[in-house]
Amino acid sequence: MIEKFIHPPRVERPGATEDATAARRRLADKFPRTALRRMTHLGLLLGSVLEGEALAPGDALVYASTFAETRALEDFLKSFPAASPLLFQTSIHPGGIQQVLIGRQQPVARLWPLAGRARLVEQALLTVLLEPAARTVLTGGEERGSWMLDLDMAAARPFAFAFVASREPAGAIGRISFEPGDFSDEPCPVLEKFVDALAGRRSLEWRGAGGICRLLWK
Amino acid sequence: MSVPADQLPVGIAACECLTPLGDAAATHAALLAGTRALRMTPVLGREGGDPVPLALLGPMDESLPPRWLADLRRLAARIPAAAWGTSRTPVVVTSSNFGVGSLHAFTRDRDPRHVAHGTPFASVELLRKEFGWGEQVHVFSHACVTAHLGLAHAARLLHAGLAERVLVFSYDFVSPFVAGGFHSLKILNGLMPAPYAVRETGAIGLGDGAAFAVLTRDGGPFYIAAHALHNEMYHFTGNEPAGAGFAACAAAIAAAAGGRRVWIKGHGTGTLEAGRLEAGELFRQFPDAPLTGWKGSLGHTLGSCGLVELALAIAAVRGGRIPGTVGGESPAFSGNVALQSFDGAAYDGAVLSANAFGGAHAAMLLAHD
Repeated sequence: MIEKFIHPPRVERPGATEDATAARRRLADKFPRTALRRMTHLGLLLGSVLEGEALAPGDALVYASTFAETRALEDFLKSFPAASPLLFQTSIHPGGIQQVLIGRQQPVARLWPLAGRARLVEQALLTVLLEPAARTVLTGGEERGSWMLDLDMAAARPFAFAFVASREPAGAIGRISFEPGDFSDEPCPVLEKFVDALAGRRSLEWRGAGGICRLLWK
Repeated sequence: MSVPADQLPVGIAACECLTPLGDAAATHAALLAGTRALRMTPVLGREGGDPVPLALLGPMDESLPPRWLADLRRLAARIPAAAWGTSRTPVVVTSSNFGVGSLHAFTRDRDPRHVAHGTPFASVELLRKEFGWGEQVHVFSHACVTAHLGLAHAARLLHAGLAERVLVFSYDFVSPFVAGGFHSLKILNGLMPAPYAVRETGAIGLGDGAAFAVLTRDGGPFYIAAHALHNEMYHFTGNEPAGAGFAACAAAIAAAAGGRRVWIKGHGTGTLEAGRLEAGELFRQFPDAPLTGWKGSLGHTLGSCGLVELALAIAAVRGGRIPGTVGGESPAFSGNVALQSFDGAAYDGAVLSANAFGGAHAAMLLAHD
């Protein structure tokens, strides 16, 4: 079995209708004013859940988002034929987490941006469990789309989460694990359900990737 | 600060690519002949715009089904048979753009059929169904270092005993969405790229590319011995001015390379500042290793470049002759830039590097018996 201990997670789950403008007002004291103006909704939420989390250059970061920079993508598409360079850069995965780390001038050796859907949570947990860094941050989230939401190409609700996973049990409040075995895949929780479980300290268990994945609390 | 490279050697049981110059063997032959696949093409395809250097497998305009599907079918036909996408033989898909060009087509034409493959997961789902893969398909997207990440993740799955074989599949096709974006940054302009050349204005080309590798715990004669990664987080599109990211990644892969006699396939897109920093740091770490790059011919194949160029490096070693920097010019940023092809017999390894937005850096050590 592979396991890591998790330290208190932070979760942002604003109302479904919060947009970037409202988030800028709500989270204004967490960001420098110059950065605040340029950040996307997802970038703001990620910055909020990572506030105070000092990453060392040797730490690793796993970033999970199915839809990623939805609004920048929508706006970049609108900018044609005079394509916007700023929106182009921002729309590229993993722009959300890069906004936060570039804002902090925070280098990190290994960044693993995942972009799947059905088994995204499972793949993110496996990526964390296989990472040799002493501390690995698992973070991710979504922002609400506009026209892309109508076409099932965006999230309906904005959210973000982050926690540190380490091999050290001191201070941990739970653990994630993978127990290999000869099992058939079961449905994997989607990212939003995973975040709900983090927020409610609810355990999760499912079979997938040739084993059993678990999120357990003390 | 340099974090040690992952040293989890994995065998390469199969590796192939598709570029506008053909498969790996045909592309290798064309590179040796100095052929440029890049052609001046309107940046927005049928909608016009400035001519820019693009290397395309077909007309750039988005079609239904997407234009990349037939090419990927052709490539996938060469993947060794296995129950891909199951827990013991998972697939790792890597791309920067997936089918995002279709979203531009949708906003232009309002044809809802375009959106069926516009997002990363929808694009991968289309491939999964086309190729009969199961659900165990890991998806990574980290711009132009993505393929390196996929290969490194596959090595970890194999060494943890979580897989017997891993298929890493990578693709990126140019669309008006992508070309328009790079053109807006002014690095995709009316000039052909001249990687590592000291000149007044930098320029890149963009190209279609796709590739796959089947990795195993054992095997050979080719294997990936190490991966180094670093993310500067200094600027979205610029590098830390002193080259800290290039230095960290190059130092880590140099330590892993030990006493091997290597040549280097650099990232070498044709931009000036990144080219200068990259060439300088690689020369510092590998003063005796010739540095070559092939994006002056193939263009930058973005998220697929790491795997496309791995397939070409293997073809070059097999063929005994390593192509020089197509489109390169003298003077170059460092004395080890190889403008002409060279004999591969003197080497027992190669360092292959890539860089991406956000100051992301990746390098792998390709070794052979």
